[in-house]
Amino acid sequence: MEKLDHLEQLLAERLAHIERQRLPDAVVLHVTPETLVATMLLLRDDPQLDCKQMIDLAGVHYPEREKAFEIVYQLLSVHKNHRLRVKLAVDEQTPVPSVTSVWWCADWFEREAYEMFGILFTGHPDLRRLLTDYDFEGFPLRKDYPLSGLSEVRYDPAQKRVIRQPIQMVHPNREPYPVNPA
Amino acid sequence: MGVIEEVRQEVAERGYLLASADKLVNWARTCSMWPMTFGLACCAVEMMHAGASRYDLDRFGIVFRGSPRQSDVMIVAGTLTHKMAPALRKLYDQMPEPRWVISMGSCANGGGYYHHGYSVVRGCDTIVPVDIFIPGCPPTAEAFLYGILQLHKKIHRTHTVYSGWGVNGVTQTRNVRT
Amino acid sequence: MTEQKEFQNYTVNFGPQHPAAHGVLRLLLDLDGEVVERADPHIGFLHRGTEKLLEHKTYLQGVPYFDRLDYMSMMSEEHTWVLAVEKLLGIQAPERAQYIRVIFAELTRILNHLLFLGAHGLDVGAMTMFIYAFREREEIFDMYEAASGARMHAAYFRPGGVARDLPEGLAERIKDFTDSFPSKIDEYETLLTDNRIWKQRLVDIGVVTPQEALDMGFAGPMLRASGFAWDLRKAEPYDAYDRVEFDIPVGKNGDSYDRYLVRVDEIRQSNRIIRQCLEQMKPGPVRYEDFKISPPYRKEMQRDMESLIHHFKLFSEGFKVPPGEVYLATESPKGEFGVYIISHGENKPYRVKIRAAGYNHLQAVKRMALGHMLADVTTLVGTIDIVFGEIDR
Repeated sequence: MEKLDHLEQLLAERLAHIERQRLPDAVVLHVTPETLVATMLLLRDDPQLDCKQMIDLAGVHYPEREKAFEIVYQLLSVHKNHRLRVKLAVDEQTPVPSVTSVWWCADWFEREAYEMFGILFTGHPDLRRLLTDYDFEGFPLRKDYPLSGLSEVRYDPAQKRVIRQPIQMVHPNREPYPVNPA
Repeated sequence: MGVIEEVRQEVAERGYLLASADKLVNWARTCSMWPMTFGLACCAVEMMHAGASRYDLDRFGIVFRGSPRQSDVMIVAGTLTHKMAPALRKLYDQMPEPRWVISMGSCANGGGYYHHGYSVVRGCDTIVPVDIFIPGCPPTAEAFLYGILQLHKKIHRTHTVYSGWGVNGVTQTRNVRT
Repeated sequence: MTEQKEFQNYTVNFGPQHPAAHGVLRLLLDLDGEVVERADPHIGFLHRGTEKLLEHKTYLQGVPYFDRLDYMSMMSEEHTWVLAVEKLLGIQAPERAQYIRVIFAELTRILNHLLFLGAHGLDVGAMTMFIYAFREREEIFDMYEAASGARMHAAYFRPGGVARDLPEGLAERIKDFTDSFPSKIDEYETLLTDNRIWKQRLVDIGVVTPQEALDMGFAGPMLRASGFAWDLRKAEPYDAYDRVEFDIPVGKNGDSYDRYLVRVDEIRQSNRIIRQCLEQMKPGPVRYEDFKISPPYRKEMQRDMESLIHHFKLFSEGFKVPPGEVYLATESPKGEFGVYIISHGENKPYRVKIRAAGYNHLQAVKRMALGHMLADVTTLVGTIDIVFGEIDR
């Protein structure tokens, strides 16, 4: 608790213009795309705040909000032993400046946020899909994306290759089937 | 009485050996089945355990191979995802005939724990024809051994020397009676 | 007249199915001769959509998904999830349960590091190590089986405690194991630590400076090998870790050999922690005594209607978690494994983000592999100790 109070004090001194929120177990900063990179650089380079590591970047989808997406950065200071959470609300069209220039490891996290939610990042060196299939379409972690997806793959004996087709959820081998005499 | 003992006795009694070619071939096949390690997920750990100190798959003449061109059996051990499916099929196509496939664990059998996921193949038998399904999440190393012995039985029941699945170049998926 | 030849870099595709890939890694390597010029890891071949599935499962049903994330260290992952859910609920597990959790988390650490030793050894040509490591792994699997009924995916830790108390005799068995285990670690070290080939393959391969380690988001043994005495078990103690003594092994050079030494020493420390826990542990309840959150006792269910209702409600509907958000990280064997849960007060989480421990480490291969030989890539893939279940999720 004292640590969090101290951290909040520090943030009040150094980043007075950034909206702050105090949760029971964390301090959260709310930034905008304009203030993001400058804030992150200060958080990283200030000797007292010293957030040398970006631990995590999570996207969240709130379909009912005007700015439907939220990006949550988790920062950590190994030397001072404190954590900080930074949030950024954004809509689908507005691109977010990339923080890869601040922390090298943000690369894959931003690629993942892009492929899962469709959040766009500017200044990212290589914004491709990361986890899903090479020919995958859609943003699976959005709330309007169905759990079982929209397509499935199977082997097509006629074309002699694995094809992607609209989802059917029917399995050829689960129907009653004459057993082959071995 | 083991096969070798039978053979020895017959040779000792008559001085020659009479066997049908398919039986001989099947016997040879089951004695050294070289599986391709297709370790995808959790089941691969149990597969490694089956191959390591306690269970020791070498007893059955099973030596894991890294290349599909040297192997007879493909063990699909783990969740098969959409991204992996073309690679699985390609490796299966590279294996020489006759070839068999063991589907290990509920993910490979039918999607299992991830059946409703958006990126998981619901059963690897939609991609390759499967001979033996081993249930479990993951199947224990013993269960895996049992599955291999079942495959041995299945091979012994085959009465053709050529036992490939492909008929006229079209690969069929069939149910398996064990 | 001499003919002028132009040599071009060529690209090698490594994986997705390769015996040294530790699963389903695909690496695109641009080579100049045998020197790596560019490495581009492609991941996602085991992307199972766990985060999406978790949004559709109750908190209790979420536990087994965490087993299957990092399938080398099953219970450590559960530990993160149950601690995060407990934090949202504002409850704490009873003391005995905390000790049991720490014992199994540390057994899991041994399990993971043994597989690291075995698989890493196998990759660079030390076959015997694999056989030795799996001998002890089987013993620990037996302990898993005794406690939870499953050899691997235990689902033993539950929000508010553990599923059931240790069966009779298991504590003694673990005690016996910890007695004999240090001599086994010495055996491993005889095989590897001073082995000439092992050193030639590992020393000065993949050196990571402290500054780089922070920039690349390292945690756990990878960070410690670069010279940081950073351990979440000390920095943010959870469960019974503040009541046990242990040291944090720290590396000096940040190369693959240091990472190996750090992990071997961590096994020794885990052994020490388990022994202390077994000594300090006292009999008592192992689950939180609120039957809205943990299942009622089987005996009471047979005569008490209320308990039966609780049981049915718990396993069908689950419990509701107050709205809020939490990020909780634990020291999993591979590094910092964190989970960020947003709850909207329902019985299912609104959003779960899993911070995989190996994610940043694998990403760092892009930088670590530059300038190394092709054969060293195998060492690098081994030394970062990756499991694709958690990286791809």
